[in-house]
Amino acid sequence: MVNAPSPATTERAQSQRSAGPVAGRRGGTRHRRHQTVVACLFLAPTLLFFAVFLILPLGFALLLSMSHWAGFDLGGIRPVGLDNFTRLFADGSTFLVPVLTHTLLFALGTVVLALTGSVLVATCIDRLRFQGMWRTVYFLPIVTTVVAVGNVWKYMYEPGGLVNGALNTLGLGSVAFLQDPDTALPSVVVVQAWASFGSAILVLTAGLKSVPASYYEAAALDGAGPVVVFRDITLPLLRPCLLFVCITQFLTGLQSFALIIVMTKGGPGDATDVAALEMYQQAFSYGDWGTASAAAFVLFVVVLMVTLAQLWIFRRKGEDA
Amino acid sequence: MIRRRFPWLSCLVVVTGAVLTVVPFLDMVMTSFKGPGESGRLPYRFLPKAFDLSNYRAAIDQLDLPVLFRNSVIATTVITASVLCTSSLAGYALAKLRFPGRNFLFRLVLSTMMFPPFLFLIPHFLILVHWPLAGGNNLLGRGGAGLTVSIAALVMPFLVNNFGIFLTRQFMVSIPDDVLDAARVDGAGEFTVWWRIVLPQTMPVMVTLGLLTFVDAWNEYIWSLLVATANPNLMTLPVGIQLLQDYVDPASTLPIVMAGLVLSILPVLILFVLLQKYYIRGVVLSGLK
Repeated sequence: MVNAPSPATTERAQSQRSAGPVAGRRGGTRHRRHQTVVACLFLAPTLLFFAVFLILPLGFALLLSMSHWAGFDLGGIRPVGLDNFTRLFADGSTFLVPVLTHTLLFALGTVVLALTGSVLVATCIDRLRFQGMWRTVYFLPIVTTVVAVGNVWKYMYEPGGLVNGALNTLGLGSVAFLQDPDTALPSVVVVQAWASFGSAILVLTAGLKSVPASYYEAAALDGAGPVVVFRDITLPLLRPCLLFVCITQFLTGLQSFALIIVMTKGGPGDATDVAALEMYQQAFSYGDWGTASAAAFVLFVVVLMVTLAQLWIFRRKGEDA
Repeated sequence: MIRRRFPWLSCLVVVTGAVLTVVPFLDMVMTSFKGPGESGRLPYRFLPKAFDLSNYRAAIDQLDLPVLFRNSVIATTVITASVLCTSSLAGYALAKLRFPGRNFLFRLVLSTMMFPPFLFLIPHFLILVHWPLAGGNNLLGRGGAGLTVSIAALVMPFLVNNFGIFLTRQFMVSIPDDVLDAARVDGAGEFTVWWRIVLPQTMPVMVTLGLLTFVDAWNEYIWSLLVATANPNLMTLPVGIQLLQDYVDPASTLPIVMAGLVLSILPVLILFVLLQKYYIRGVVLSGLK
């Protein structure tokens, strides 16, 4: 049963049936109507929530993105059309460069680091002993609050912290990781990659397990070296998993700003300012709710395009197979 | 392959990765024992001079840790309970009841999973501040502080979880209809069927969902930060600890902050290590993290 009949058709069906012979079926219709009532009860909390926290907010955000509003009194909302959007993309606006470019760099950097690292570890961890233990260890950052991750790394990046301590031991000079505009963004990217590493490893090890051992044995009989095996067997068979990790991590990277709030608040200057953070600060620090909502929608469109690209690529992969 | 040819190399890679993962945690624990002026001093030393618990006492006093813990525990518990309850109810309706618009609703649940959370941040906050007849607001939602006066502000936007509905629905679809029909014939109402037959069978997926929700709610930062700026009494653990870190001289308070962080992440870490099988299955199923 794909589409249950609407109440109106049920009504009609029932009146037709009451004229006709099939008396036993009338109970079925009553049962169905009873199920509709019960379903409404079961779904009531969810539907109420959807109305208040899903549909209303979307409308509200859309309204705000086309208004000027300094907060407080709802009566002060003044519609301005697409003004907020044109200002975001006007000359001299920092939104496109550097904020959006930072966002893309942040997401891209995270993906590249997390992916290379996790491919390396996942291929090595495959069929190793104590897998459960390694999994637990690699997963610790994922269940840890961003406040702990951010603060620990922030402290580790300090002149008297662990990273500089290690550099000094190796005879290298200290680096002002988070204070130097040139190193601040890469430093935060490293932390984000560190924090998202575990889930990538999880997906990739699951993918590696599905590669039949006979492939490796055949390759070994043919005398293929490890690099060749990795390039010609592991990597192609792992491609769906790689793609999945790549795209989900990219999406997360585009949206996340909690780590940046904790570690740098977008500084020094605007060296680590990303789009979601810009939205947050426009609204809650500068009280420019219209611009903030417009920025949110622009970022939403970027995220949506990435999501659609993801669906498109996966569908094409499905046709290949 | 690489593993078989060069076992020592793959071992080295895995161990190096594990060390890099664990070292920040160890550094946090070590720093939490360091005395005043001992952290941040050059040259860097990994181990503290003495394992002194005074930072933990200071964290409990200065951070007002009991209050932060109370807020975090209440918010997390309410969110987890609500998500479990609403997900299993809605999941049952979407999987096992026939009603008009069922497929449309299921598609709505799926498609709204794609909306990024930051899009809702501003409207959710405004909706709570302008909640009618709460916190001194009039019927039109003006004049008062709205729901930000109560702890409800921390939990409201998280009471229903689309992924939770999706997960339970997928799981319940696989329960055979015969069993449910047999119970119905015996005179059981839909609520009894849900409570007596469906819920016990969905226990594993409930544990997974509960754990995922618990960890996410416990670690939630951005929304709690917004709520706490409106009403400081509603600070949760992450927000309170970050505030101390931001406003007090980091050099002197750093060990206290680290002690607070250790205490705040302990409950989740313990829960994760005990129930990691369920948690990891959830992450694989959600594919989101």
